[in-house]
Amino acid sequence: MKNSNPRPTCLLIAALGGEGGGVLAGWITEAAVASGLVAGRTSIPGVAQRTGATTYYLELMPREPGKPHPVLALNPAPGQVDVLLASELLEATRLAGFGMISAERTTLIANTARVYTMDEKMTMGDGRIDAERLKPILESAAKTAVFVDFNAIGQQAKAPLGAVMLGALAGSKLLPIPDDALRDAIRREGKSVAANLAGFEAGYASITESTAAPATARPIAARAGVVAAIAEFPARSSIVAAEGVARLTDYQNAAYADTYLAHLRRFARLPSMDDATLAELARHLAVRMSVEDVMRVAQLKLRDARVARVIGEAKARQGDIVDITEFMKPGMDEIVGLLPPFLAGPLHRLVTRLGWSKVAFPLNVTTTRIGGFLRLRLLCALRGWRPHTQKFHEEQLWLARWLGLVEATLKHDPAAAREVIGTAKLVRGYGDTYRRGLANWDRIAITLIEPALSAAMSSPDLADHILQARIAAEKDPDGAALIATLDAIASRPTAHLQAAQ
Amino acid sequence: MEVSFAKEIASLKLGSGSTFRGEGILAVTKALLQSGVGYVGGYQGAPVSHLLDVLLQAEDVLSELGVHLQTCTNEAAAAALLAASINYPVRGAVTWKSIVGTNVAADALSNLSSAGVIGGALIVVGEDYGEGASVIQERTHAFAVKSSVWLLDPRPDLPTIVRMVEQGFELSEATNTPVILELRIRACHVYGSFDARDNVAAKVSANARLAEPAVFDYAKLSHPPVTFNQEIDKVTRRRPLAEQFILDHKLNEQIGPADGDVGIIVQGGLFNVLNGRLAEAGLSDIYGNAAVSTLVLNVTHPLSTRQITDFCAGKKAVIVVEEGAPDFLEQAIGQILRKADLQTKLHGKDCLPMAGEYTPLVVADGLAKFLAPYGRDVSALTAWLAAHKTRTAKIAAALKTPLPARPPTFCTGCPERPVFSAMKILKQETSAVHVAADIGCHAFGTFAPFSQGNSILGYGMSLASAAAVASVQQKRPVSIMGDGGFWHNGLLSGVASAAFNKDDGVLIVMNNGYSSATGTQDLPSSRPNDEGRGKGIEIERSLRALGLGWIRRVRTYSVGEVKRTLDAALKSKDKGLKVIIADGECQLARQRRVRPVLAKAIADGKRVVRQRFWIDPDVCTGDRSCIRLSGCPSLTVKPSEDPLRTDPIAHVNNDCVGCGLCGEVAHAAQLCPSFARIDIIQNPSRIDRWKRAISRALMRPFGGPSAAITNGGRVT
Repeated sequence: MKNSNPRPTCLLIAALGGEGGGVLAGWITEAAVASGLVAGRTSIPGVAQRTGATTYYLELMPREPGKPHPVLALNPAPGQVDVLLASELLEATRLAGFGMISAERTTLIANTARVYTMDEKMTMGDGRIDAERLKPILESAAKTAVFVDFNAIGQQAKAPLGAVMLGALAGSKLLPIPDDALRDAIRREGKSVAANLAGFEAGYASITESTAAPATARPIAARAGVVAAIAEFPARSSIVAAEGVARLTDYQNAAYADTYLAHLRRFARLPSMDDATLAELARHLAVRMSVEDVMRVAQLKLRDARVARVIGEAKARQGDIVDITEFMKPGMDEIVGLLPPFLAGPLHRLVTRLGWSKVAFPLNVTTTRIGGFLRLRLLCALRGWRPHTQKFHEEQLWLARWLGLVEATLKHDPAAAREVIGTAKLVRGYGDTYRRGLANWDRIAITLIEPALSAAMSSPDLADHILQARIAAEKDPDGAALIATLDAIASRPTAHLQAAQ
Repeated sequence: MEVSFAKEIASLKLGSGSTFRGEGILAVTKALLQSGVGYVGGYQGAPVSHLLDVLLQAEDVLSELGVHLQTCTNEAAAAALLAASINYPVRGAVTWKSIVGTNVAADALSNLSSAGVIGGALIVVGEDYGEGASVIQERTHAFAVKSSVWLLDPRPDLPTIVRMVEQGFELSEATNTPVILELRIRACHVYGSFDARDNVAAKVSANARLAEPAVFDYAKLSHPPVTFNQEIDKVTRRRPLAEQFILDHKLNEQIGPADGDVGIIVQGGLFNVLNGRLAEAGLSDIYGNAAVSTLVLNVTHPLSTRQITDFCAGKKAVIVVEEGAPDFLEQAIGQILRKADLQTKLHGKDCLPMAGEYTPLVVADGLAKFLAPYGRDVSALTAWLAAHKTRTAKIAAALKTPLPARPPTFCTGCPERPVFSAMKILKQETSAVHVAADIGCHAFGTFAPFSQGNSILGYGMSLASAAAVASVQQKRPVSIMGDGGFWHNGLLSGVASAAFNKDDGVLIVMNNGYSSATGTQDLPSSRPNDEGRGKGIEIERSLRALGLGWIRRVRTYSVGEVKRTLDAALKSKDKGLKVIIADGECQLARQRRVRPVLAKAIADGKRVVRQRFWIDPDVCTGDRSCIRLSGCPSLTVKPSEDPLRTDPIAHVNNDCVGCGLCGEVAHAAQLCPSFARIDIIQNPSRIDRWKRAISRALMRPFGGPSAAITNGGRVT
């Protein structure tokens, strides 16, 4: 009986609330009915879906003369979805996790553009789930999986995402609906018809002309133009070192860049040092040596290139005037940090005593106008004074300590040394963020790294411990997770700690 | 500013001979008009908001038919509205979200059902339970049983839903009893069609008013001693009449063969899911031709004893497919069978779970458990369930860790987000306080990155729920309430009570001008304007009228100010209730209003300054503290272009509406200098260009932007 049953074509749309999934589902329903099909549709809208994950479910089947109205299901049945159209890759994967995609039946058309979840965005390090990691999972789950960056296509065609996805659906020829019926649905709805039709055609072409998914954006390996490798270092390190030299010369001067190279040379000569590790060291060292103090920020904000790129990103049109207003709020730390140590020390104590340490001065500086421009120029000009400032002094002390730990660890545990290098990324940002990062780093150094070194023999899992601690500090910069992790590590004493006792 | 429902309204005007196409809840609305309803009211809430939203804009249809429309301030008022049908032969319908709304309406509902009605009274409740829903799975059925109100749970198919509305009124009048029509969320939004009939003008209505009031009749009051007679009337007269009506008008449907050794008794609303799984087992088809005898209960209360016994007689076993707990139907049917001394084995919650939504997976599992022992071949079902297990296990294994959840959150530019940013910053600077959360968009403040809120007790209940907390806390609790909740009942159960008891606490009222969570409906305090129904009734004045002294108004986007004001409220020497009215128009509504206007202005060549925010990729160190304090959807991350930084950096995408929160947070929390506001002057005036030119000329000597872009942004 079952096999002889006529079966509807089942379409599941995965979308994010407010993305226009309802309009998309509406177009399909309208077109289906207009072309003589029986269409069923349901959704679960309401505030509960606002910008959150949601779905729309449709069932389509030919109208059979003399037959009663079919009983269309209200819920998609796992594994019995013919087409899954997803506006976001993680949401496609989520539905796969619910068993909606079957290798026998489901064709997946998924947008490769990621809309990151709050979890992914909040992490201090890189909390993103790589699209390239999800694709193979989906490919193995579905009968056919088509990946397209619908956002890119939409931006190109200046069209809404829904219209592009409708076009892609039409292009895939999976629904018993003629393409023109879908185009007409857009016209009949009568809202921004031109843009929607443009999107439809662009989406259509993305399927019919090439089903190959464009590669997703990757971080640049090395700045274009930087090929002048520094001969004395191995391949990878040399590229990074060249980058570092360029940055530090720009940051201060050639002499400053030379001190950077001097550090690298010292480490390059160490026996247990390899190219990868040296490259990482070179990278972190350059970043830490070019810490964003007020002069640096001012310098970066006066770059010519910015205005041009802002115009581009702001989608400004011919004849528009674009102004950039910077939100800056130097606090006492920044100001005291500008003074030489012998003055900064006492002043800092005074400020703390007066309870002014939180005092800060909000400045909204319009760098595209003479007033704001001059103020930043002035700060830039202080660059020469930098080496005499408290901030610079503090940074030097920290660098010395960090490099010392790296060097010491390298001697008997290169793996751990690589992790020690990695901890440098915890110290970044501005204001409180910077202070919290510094505190977290300190905690790791004192409770994990230094004891291990003083134990004068390597622990098999020191590297792992440092990594765990770093990840904890990145996940929760306020430090709670880090403390918990460190306690956990302390509570299970390792070989070397026992030996030390 | 509400959405336009022109298309929906057109379908409400359809007459005989034409086909209605649309969603379930709109079909109900059309059915009301076809039934000659005299008045309609209710309180908005997913999934039934549409009923009222559409009618609000259908003034022509309503005035032609003389239908009165009441926007009730809460569900109790909506239930009380039905009192018109106690004394007058006029049909009335109200709607709300259940179970929450039914809880609020309970008082009026008891008294209405006790007195009984002479005009048909229909209550359309939307059961927002299940996937993505927002309420607890408590059963409206309980209210129907305790108040002797009849409960319809129609098969989610438009003709059936429409028939139940029309016959629901008849049932109500035939039995002098209010009737509840229950629709699950997917049924409210199910798309389908039915053959329309002409709308009917009520005999008694705003267009055909009665000259005289009803004659005094004590028996119509729900007041002792007549309530005792009414209780007797409910069970001795009304219920038997209802059972007879159900049989006479075939409200319930017998599907498949009448005989057979097993049978299924299913709530109408679950039939489609059931049929899908029967078809999977090869025991039905897409047209609902079930091979197993099935009784579809479009009326779940009362049950017709005769119908149940007739159905079960001669069957070895029946299963009751009934969603939720407790198992009211199963218990009632069990009692019927026992009293009729029928030996039919009764199954239900032994095969199906007591709690949770009855999805295809759940129903399939239950069917297999029930049918197999009675010799039915359920291999197709079990195979399907097994395949599902393998599929999901495979994905889980490949993913290793579960995917991060994607709960709903504040819209881009939402005026309520900044308040939670301020609260989080203050918490970091000082310490945590007890936060009483409430129902509304602001409940999203309980999600990351804010994670604020210790309890949610109900709509407009936050302040009341903090009253005793204050007595056991050293620090003052903070209650969050939206203007929706404020007018729903927060003003009385919260503010008046706090004023009366001199409660020492802090209340933040989110004054965004609409009941946004339910679809930006207007409120008493909404600004009066041509398209809205707002009356501009001032929240502040109503607070002052209650004698409150400590009242501050803040613009929500001024994070620093919100933070300072909240800090002041927490530290204030004032021992009474301290109220902060957080003003900021719902961005969803604002964009709906502003976008078209701006687009036109730009097209007309008028000077328009567009603002959006931007993060300097060179200055951002990717520490992400901004995201942890904002959570704005348009504030996201992108790969760093800096070859020396591998972690992604923060980035503002083009959805930015320029609300200014990022900048404010950057200042308030002294985050970082990466944030910049971009002002795009479109169609600049001569003066604009002029100023631009001067600035440019002055910047040059100091090494200003190079010639290529020296017009400092003037795009050429």
